[in-house]
Amino acid sequence: MLPGDEKAVERCLQGDDAAWEAVVNSYGKRIYNLSYRYTCRRDEAEDLTQEIFIRVYQNLKSFRAESGSFQSWIMKVGRNLIIDHFRRTRRYQQTAGTEEMETMNLKDDKVPSPQRIAEQAEASRFLMEGLQALPPELKEAVILRDLEGMSYLEIAELLGIPEGTVKSRINRARLELAKLLTKRRTQVGMQV
Amino acid sequence: MECGIVEERLSEYVERSLPHETMVQVAEHLQECPRCSGLIEEMRFILVTCKAFPTFELDTALLDRILLRTSGRPRTRPLRERLRSYFLQPMLTPRFAAGVGLVLLFVALVVDLLAPRASVLATVLSPRELFGQMDRGVQQIYSEGLRLYTSKNEWQEQFTSYKNNLLGKLGIMIEQLDVPVEGKKKATEPKQPEKAPKQKSSVMLLPA
Repeated sequence: MLPGDEKAVERCLQGDDAAWEAVVNSYGKRIYNLSYRYTCRRDEAEDLTQEIFIRVYQNLKSFRAESGSFQSWIMKVGRNLIIDHFRRTRRYQQTAGTEEMETMNLKDDKVPSPQRIAEQAEASRFLMEGLQALPPELKEAVILRDLEGMSYLEIAELLGIPEGTVKSRINRARLELAKLLTKRRTQVGMQV
Repeated sequence: MECGIVEERLSEYVERSLPHETMVQVAEHLQECPRCSGLIEEMRFILVTCKAFPTFELDTALLDRILLRTSGRPRTRPLRERLRSYFLQPMLTPRFAAGVGLVLLFVALVVDLLAPRASVLATVLSPRELFGQMDRGVQQIYSEGLRLYTSKNEWQEQFTSYKNNLLGKLGIMIEQLDVPVEGKKKATEPKQPEKAPKQKSSVMLLPA
C-alpha cells in the first residue's frame, strides 16, 4: 500500500469507500499490534484501534504528502492517541496473562512445538513485565525500535526528537530492561 | 575501558554499529567483566524475544466495526467467507449437531435391526457367491422355461386330440341323422335338379 498511499488518500477524500477499506486493511494489523504493545490488553487495544481509525478518517484532509509519508502520519496519529489514552487512564497496564500469550499467533510460519510455544510465552511474559516497569519514554523507544522494527530516523520523525536522543533512549531502555531481567532471574531462578 | 562507558555503547555493540576499534575494546572488556557480559546476554535475549514476539491478526469483527463507524460501508467479504457464512455457519450450531446426532442414531438402529450381520453380508456379497447365485438363477429360469414349453406342447396336443375327437363325434352325429349333404346329393342324384329346394330346406332344419 505504501507506493499508492497518496492516491488512496485522494480516493478516500473523494468518497471512495473501497479505498478506505484498503487503507484499513493495510494498516489495521500494525495499528492494532502497536496498541496492544502499549496496553497489553486485547480489549483496550481493539478500542484504541477503532478510535485511531476514526480519528484518521476524520483528519484525512489534514494529511500532507510533502510533510512525510502516510505511514508516518498514521503512526503519529496512533501514537498520540495511545499517549492520550495513557494520560486519561493515568495508569500503566499490567502484563498480559500467560494464557493470552499462549494463544497468540506467532510470527513464524512453521508450527512450533508446544514446549517451544510455552518457552516463547514465558519469555514474552517476562519481557512484557520488564517493559511495564520502564519509564514511558524508554518503554516507547523499545516498542518502536525492537517490537515494531522502526528505524532510528522513523522514530525520530514520529516522536519529534533528534536521532541521537532516540539512540540514547533505546540504549538506556535496553540497559534498564537487561538489569531488571537479571534481577528477576535471580529472584525466579530462571536462566538465559 | 570502564563499565560505565561500555554500558553506554552496549546497544550499538549488539547492533554492530560501532567502529571496529571500539568493537574490539568493548569485546575485550566483556571477556574480563562478568557483570557487563551478563548485561549483554540479557540484551541479546531481549532482542531475540522481541523478534519472536507474537503478533495478532486483526479481527474481522473489529474491521467491520471500524468500517461501519467510519465510511458506513460494510466490509467486502471474500467468496470463501460468504460461503462459510451462508452454508457452514448454520450447520455449526448445537441444534443442527443434535439433529444430526439423532438422525445417525436412528440410522444405526435401523441398520442394526434390518440388515444382516456384517460377516454374513460379506459372504453373501462375495463375487463367487454372486456369480453362483446368478448361475443358479439362470438355470432356474431356463428349466422353468423348458417346463412351460413342454407343458404348452402337452396342452396343445391334448387340445388337438379333444378337438379331433369332438369333430369326429360331430361327424358321427351328422351321419346318424342321415341327412344328405349337398355335395353328396349332387353326386348321387344328378338327374333330379327340381328337388334341390326341398333338400336345401331340410339342411336348414339341422341344428346349429
